[in-house]
Amino acid sequence: MSTNQPKPGDGRPRAFPSFLALLVSTFALPLSAADWPQFKGPNASGISDETALPTEWSKDKGVKWQAKLPARGVSSPVVAAGKAYVTCSSGKRDDRLHVLCFDAATGKELWHRQLTATGPTACHPMTCMAAPTPVADATGVYALFATGDLVAFDPDGNLRWYRSLVGDYPDITNQVGMAASPVLAKDKLIVPMDNDGDSFLAAVDVKYGKNVWKVPRPRSINWVTPLVRDTAGKTEVLFAGPNGLTAYDADNGSKRWLYKEGGGAIPTASLVGDMLYVPGGGVSAVKLGPDGPAGGPLMKAKEVSTGHGSPLVYQGRVYAADGNNFISAADAKSGKTLFKERKKAPFSASPVGGDGKVYCVNEKGVTTVLKAGTDEFDVLADNDLGEEVLGTPAISGGCLFIRTDKTLFCVGR
Amino acid sequence: MSRRFRPGWAVAVALALFAASAPAQPDDLAKAIATLKGVTKEGAANDAAGPAWKAVVDAGAPALLPTLRAVDDANPTAANWLLTAAGAIAERHRKDKGTFSPELDSIPLDAKYAPSARRFAYELAVLQTPSLANTLLPKLLDSPEPNLRREAIAHGVKLAGLVASGSGEAEKAAYRRLFALTREKEQAEELAKALAAFGEKANVTEHFAFITHVRLVGPFHSEKGKALTLAYPPETTPAAAEYDGKEGKVTWQAQATADKYGKFDLNETVGRLKNACVYARATVHADKATPAEIRVGSPNAVAIYLNGKKLFGREEYHHGDQMDYHVGKGVLTAGENTIVVKVCQNNQTDSWAQRWQFQARVCDATGGPLPGLTQVVDGRKLPLGAITQPEGEK
Repeated sequence: MSTNQPKPGDGRPRAFPSFLALLVSTFALPLSAADWPQFKGPNASGISDETALPTEWSKDKGVKWQAKLPARGVSSPVVAAGKAYVTCSSGKRDDRLHVLCFDAATGKELWHRQLTATGPTACHPMTCMAAPTPVADATGVYALFATGDLVAFDPDGNLRWYRSLVGDYPDITNQVGMAASPVLAKDKLIVPMDNDGDSFLAAVDVKYGKNVWKVPRPRSINWVTPLVRDTAGKTEVLFAGPNGLTAYDADNGSKRWLYKEGGGAIPTASLVGDMLYVPGGGVSAVKLGPDGPAGGPLMKAKEVSTGHGSPLVYQGRVYAADGNNFISAADAKSGKTLFKERKKAPFSASPVGGDGKVYCVNEKGVTTVLKAGTDEFDVLADNDLGEEVLGTPAISGGCLFIRTDKTLFCVGR
Repeated sequence: MSRRFRPGWAVAVALALFAASAPAQPDDLAKAIATLKGVTKEGAANDAAGPAWKAVVDAGAPALLPTLRAVDDANPTAANWLLTAAGAIAERHRKDKGTFSPELDSIPLDAKYAPSARRFAYELAVLQTPSLANTLLPKLLDSPEPNLRREAIAHGVKLAGLVASGSGEAEKAAYRRLFALTREKEQAEELAKALAAFGEKANVTEHFAFITHVRLVGPFHSEKGKALTLAYPPETTPAAAEYDGKEGKVTWQAQATADKYGKFDLNETVGRLKNACVYARATVHADKATPAEIRVGSPNAVAIYLNGKKLFGREEYHHGDQMDYHVGKGVLTAGENTIVVKVCQNNQTDSWAQRWQFQARVCDATGGPLPGLTQVVDGRKLPLGAITQPEGEK
């Protein structure tokens, strides 16, 4: 993930190698185990390896810290190198864009930057301009807004670079609102910009935000977040859309393969090893070879309903929570339905897993905690924060980071 | 491992710290601001802009006003570079318990500054001295910055409600003035309602200068919902008396709307069609050459033309119909101007994809009415927003 490392023989004085080594180790750290760097965590898996994660909490109990947010957002919080980043949008026209950074351990607000939207702000009332989830690493945070404003800050809040994508490509248009999130692929930031106008997928260099490649996409709105995988010496960007799931070479944007049955518009697939779990009429699984799916679906979990959220594949089960209040699960190998239980409110956030638990946060701010890896609907707790939650929580440092429409909660010890 | 002191380290760290904290000199600051202002498209200047941003911020509070001043004619991308720098300066200065120059307080009213810089200055000034809001807001009723104007109008409404007079003339006058100044739909409705309580009618349709009289021609046929990309005869031979339409010969037909927000429902007037397109033509008279915005709201694909020149086109269907979403900018010539809005319906069969409609208005850059404009209807000059029946239908 390091991008700013000096190269040998780059002209710097030889007397400074130790100093440079310190700088490199200080400012170009790879992701630590505790990081939750992007939408649904490491490569959108939704899974944390951490233990001792919380089971029960309320607004007044079991919350390590909470921080008031300046405005609404449906993006998820992300955590990298000890910092938690959140985006919000505000204003009558929702044209004020916020990026905030908190100390992940204490909740202290470290900095708060604001931009003015340069693209249109029309959208469905349920969403807002702070819908795409930012992506972060030790070098800082990259935030994309539904307005096409794309910005990179270092961990101290210094602006590294900024792009107005609508300024660059004025035909971008989506009156429903963008929500696909950017992701990192080696030294590139992958920017999904599927829309009804100038529709594209782009890779920009993380250092200056300039296009490395930009490929046209079908003109259609699409909230799917790209996945990244390494295979046979190549890094691929897997991006679903109306015509299927396309694999792009992360180096140059060339198409490597297309999986026509892997199309989508809202939830994001889960990649577990070489198995791709694709939402759409339930969840199906295909095994990926170097050139794409090696054969047809190996599993179909027809009753696992994803809705807006993306499926979670964890401890041998596929979990989903949908807009009709259902939490469902199926066996990840056979697709056999294990349960489908109705809760009291719809889910927009995707379920996440860790420490043998599955966390499903509904739109009312109630998190249903399930025991993972069993075939039963084993509810460990229903924890009410009493505020609207549409974004998927993050897991880091033994805590759950849940962003509501008003507050960032760090739940845990 | 040896832990003895290494002077080279100390020097390196000291140099690094000095470099990080050394304030920019005036010339350097000016260069750094110029670099930010020079940012254009596709991140072309980002490699220089990043260090320049840091230099501006590191210059601290003295750099705040020059940075805000530079926003004046900066493009929107550069404006964000500059305003985030101003924001970082302000944030860090406040953390250090610093106060800002009193000059900041006058910026919200100073036309030399860009509207966004004025808003920034207002918010910072009020953050520093909350009571300033009461002093500044009454002077910001006509601010070109929409958020400031909205807040000022809201403040004015609150004050007007506090004005108690036996006759109600003072309140009425205040509401009337605020109605004329607002650019917000909700505020216009609120003020119209307040005036109605005094028996006075405020005309929202005229206030927003909607085009209420047009001549429509169509429908024209398209394949696969691609009408916007096709140039139909009204574009190529606008003066023809009739055209071959989707269902036979078609001619320009007078249509008027009585909708408060200027909506023309094409399903009603043309028919519930798919793969179809119509052109709506309005004649607007300007007393003098006038820069104007032609703003359209529609759930369908639209194009906007002024005097035969295409100002705008967007092929997006059934994702909303926000007022003013589509904007064509141009200059009305003195005399009669022809405004044409092309409105296309695609072939979606979903229940939520059946609307075929548009609204259009002609306004200034703030969304306010322009003086000296009228719509020409059957040879008569009527105010934009006037709701009447066309001559032929009386």
